[in-house]
Amino acid sequence: MNRTAKILVVLGGITVVAMASVFAQGKKSFKIALIAKSSTNPVFLSARTGAEAAAKELSAKYGIDIEIDWRTPPTEDGQVQAQRIAQAVNEGDDAIIISCSDAGKVTGAINDAAARGVPVMTFDSDAPQSKRFAFYGVDDVASGQQVMSELAKQLGGKGKVAILAGNQNATNLRKRAEGVVKEAANHPDIQIVGTFYHIETPQDAAAEVVRVMNAYPDINGWAMIGGWPLFTKSLLTDLNPDKVKIVAVDALPAELPYVAKGIAPVLLAQPTYMWGHVSVEKVIDKIYLKKDVPVITRMELIRVSKENLGTWARQLKDWGFTDVPEGYLKMP
Amino acid sequence: MQPTMRRLFNAQQSGLILVILLLGAILTIFAGSHTDRVTGHSVNNFLNFYTLTQTATDASFFAIMAVGATMVIISGGIDLSVGSVYALAGTTMALALRVWNFSSTLETVLVGMTLCLGIGLLCGLANGVMVVGLRVHPFIITLGTMWVFRGIAFVTSKAESILVPDALTSVAKASLTSNAALYPVPMLVMIAVTAVGAVYLSRTVMGRHIYAIGGNVEASRYSGLRLGRILIGVYALSGLTAGIAAFVGISYYGSATCGDATGYELYVIASAVVGGASLSGGKGSAINAMLGAILIVLIRQAIRQLHFDQNYEWIIIGCAIIIAVVLDQLNARLTAKRLVKGTA
Repeated sequence: MNRTAKILVVLGGITVVAMASVFAQGKKSFKIALIAKSSTNPVFLSARTGAEAAAKELSAKYGIDIEIDWRTPPTEDGQVQAQRIAQAVNEGDDAIIISCSDAGKVTGAINDAAARGVPVMTFDSDAPQSKRFAFYGVDDVASGQQVMSELAKQLGGKGKVAILAGNQNATNLRKRAEGVVKEAANHPDIQIVGTFYHIETPQDAAAEVVRVMNAYPDINGWAMIGGWPLFTKSLLTDLNPDKVKIVAVDALPAELPYVAKGIAPVLLAQPTYMWGHVSVEKVIDKIYLKKDVPVITRMELIRVSKENLGTWARQLKDWGFTDVPEGYLKMP
Repeated sequence: MQPTMRRLFNAQQSGLILVILLLGAILTIFAGSHTDRVTGHSVNNFLNFYTLTQTATDASFFAIMAVGATMVIISGGIDLSVGSVYALAGTTMALALRVWNFSSTLETVLVGMTLCLGIGLLCGLANGVMVVGLRVHPFIITLGTMWVFRGIAFVTSKAESILVPDALTSVAKASLTSNAALYPVPMLVMIAVTAVGAVYLSRTVMGRHIYAIGGNVEASRYSGLRLGRILIGVYALSGLTAGIAAFVGISYYGSATCGDATGYELYVIASAVVGGASLSGGKGSAINAMLGAILIVLIRQAIRQLHFDQNYEWIIIGCAIIIAVVLDQLNARLTAKRLVKGTA
């Protein structure tokens, strides 16, 4: 190849790269901040997986670039969430999706973001007094009622029940606990011994269950409005399925052995993957497709029991969970 | 080198300022940029008024508490209860203002501030009196009161998140400039508290007494210093700064819960230590504590802006604290060697 040809090849290459770069710049891009309650809670990691999957699907579908900007604090802290909202706005994110640890703390930051033209959507735990444009999550009072209703069936309508309620500052959890108490009133032979709050880590939650069981040995039912302690294996041996039944919200892979063993005959799964997936869809509807988005979109709980354990396990695997026990995948 | 320049470079805080500037420069170069929604201009992700003010705001709550905590550390003690004092002062103020529901902004702010600062001061006094009166190590006393104060906040607030009146938020989030989205009040309070703390420590007799006690408690005793009174004063000031931080923080974010500032005591102590305070006492400064807080917040900011995996945040901050202390000790040893050489 002579010198002129070499120069032409190099120039051609540069032109191709430049054109590709111009083409890439022409592509509309969106950066969506995802601020969940805590990055150590597996349900929010599945929400992240869902958000990233939705970003990939919608990017391909509409020929745009959607990037998920994960800004979840390592531990629950409403103040840090408020700071992360402000940071997302300052760094030019196009929209924010948040599950509020403390609605009161983040309302001001959400309003500031909205005032600066950055739409905010809440999922899982809402900030209803804020200027968020939409919320996606379960009806918390109804979820609490459903937990108690299922537990009452398991207990034959009578027994002593404790409520495991997570972080007392989260509005959604308080509402679920209210729902449990409300439904318990419909079962006169069921007595609520107490509502027990704890730090939302599996270990703290499991320790709280054991502490309460020691203090009230006659408890025969647990209404868990979140599945925190079931992420440990300790209650599989600490609780006797003939004496104690659990009905809990959430049904992630680590919790499935409790269904198989009969300690938690029913889990009410929040399709947590959908928190991220649906929220990203709604945000793109709002900021790119300029569609009207309903203020409240309700998520339905999925009843998981021995009968559909295999189907649910396969669904979790499809959603990207890598830790689904093989044995459950083969079940009907 | 000119004497002024030499003084500047010999100053205790010059190292910290250099590190902050260096980190700022790295962030400016590598954090990228975005297009402003309103003007359409390209804006650096770090070097813009919003991010800089936000960074100072995030640091201000730690920094205000760190000024008081540094005084305790200089005296040779430790205060682990500052986060709980913050929570107790905040929830008490929020509960009281919800009951009284004043119509006037001035009344709301004055009563809120008095309550927050008053509770902070009382908690600090309680710590001081117990440390001096019971002669128990401050680590144990403040570890105990850390749980007690947060427990009181938990019981009185019934673990609710209590909204504070808009009047407070409008003051804490006053823009003070033509740009309505910039909120410099927490930053200004941080600067004011640091300035007062710096003057108190370096220009008043009380301040010098704190260094004296921390440097050599026995020598101070034989010099006739009233150790008990000074130590009670030091813990009271630490409580007071936690009360100030609570007033600014709760007003800024608009609500108070018993879980507020959980774990912040460690950030506060880290700020003081990164700022050069010695846990064995006798060394530290208010300005350095503020710079330490800014540096820690800047490191957190850098982890996100440079797109590092944020799960490494604790590891990075932990390493930064260890490195800061080791460098500080090395510097102290080198200075001592130089002094010995100079006198030989």
